Amino acid sequence: MKPTSGFQQHVDPDLIARLQHGDLAAFEAVYRQFERAAWTLALRLTGRADVAHEVLQEALLKAFERAGQYRGDAPFAMWLRKLVVNEALMQLRHERLHMIEVFADDHADDGAPVPWVLVDAAVLDHALNRLPDTARAVLWLYHVEGCTHVEIAEQFGRSVSFSKSQLARATRRLRQLLQHSGEDMPCMIDSTTP
Amino acid sequence: MHDRLDHSMNEDAALAAALRALPAATPPADAWARLAARIVHRRRIRTGLRIALPAALAAGTVLAFAWPRGPGHQPSPPGHPVAQSAPAKAPAAGGLASLQAHSRQLQAWVHALDRDGPPLNGDALAQAVALQDRIGLIDLKISANRDPGTAASLWQQRNALLERLGLLHLQPDSVAEQHAAILQINTMVL
Repeated sequence: MKPTSGFQQHVDPDLIARLQHGDLAAFEAVYRQFERAAWTLALRLTGRADVAHEVLQEALLKAFERAGQYRGDAPFAMWLRKLVVNEALMQLRHERLHMIEVFADDHADDGAPVPWVLVDAAVLDHALNRLPDTARAVLWLYHVEGCTHVEIAEQFGRSVSFSKSQLARATRRLRQLLQHSGEDMPCMIDSTTP
Repeated sequence: MHDRLDHSMNEDAALAAALRALPAATPPADAWARLAARIVHRRRIRTGLRIALPAALAAGTVLAFAWPRGPGHQPSPPGHPVAQSAPAKAPAAGGLASLQAHSRQLQAWVHALDRDGPPLNGDALAQAVALQDRIGLIDLKISANRDPGTAASLWQQRNALLERLGLLHLQPDSVAEQHAAILQINTMVL
């Protein structure tokens, strides 16, 4: 299945050209097209609304001021997404939001598999927010944004095996968190079960 | 082993589907307004600097050659036909009307300084543009506001910013400082 990130959108080349000439109205059109995608990505990567707000502001400001540097060798939306990801990772490093995390339960039992598609969205959202920042960011970039391990490794300035291990750990941790939430809030899980 | 790999791939696909099915979030309503205000603000500073820096440099160069020099000569300060001090502060308990009247006085004072005073140097100009932007934002808030308590606070903020803007014009800087700096550069070159 192809990723369905909010950044999988075509941008009108005329709009890009106007933006590159500093047209604020064109930029607002681009902003409106991607505001939800950019905000969701910033929120998922940082896990905090206040930090996500900064990410959105700084990344989009850079998009406006650096639009002239966009050469068209990749889709405009991907260029924009990269600005958001870079800004989010920079903010995470700046805020030191647990960039170096230790999974205390690395060797814990994986437990039973989780029927992911049956999990209540609110429960999954809650569990996602309880993941360490790096793990959550890698998980989101890989599964939702469709980034490869090579791309994720580049974004983080780390190795491919770092990306793979973070993804495996994040998945394991998420599974554990969901199993615990199922025990704590059986109604929320049951509500999605046919 | 093959079953295990299949199971893992299926689970990955299911997890990806579940994550992608999470609803997209909506940014705060004021996010665009904030962003647009920052863009306009930065654009004004750049435009101001593009105009002011060459003009200030040109003025400084002229002064470097034209400024009267000589032993014992004390150049008299250029006469400014503008007030050198801010209008007296509005009385604290004067109410909204007196705050507004004081604001008009301050505005006229700043306008006179801007019109008749020496040109601001780049740094002061950037500060002046930033202050003008903040005053503009407060004006927007004033026009949208319906609460008298908030109105008084907004007018006070406006007046404080106008005072800062006026004082910026009265700093012993701009041309005189540039004159000194250019004299120093000329001495080094010679």
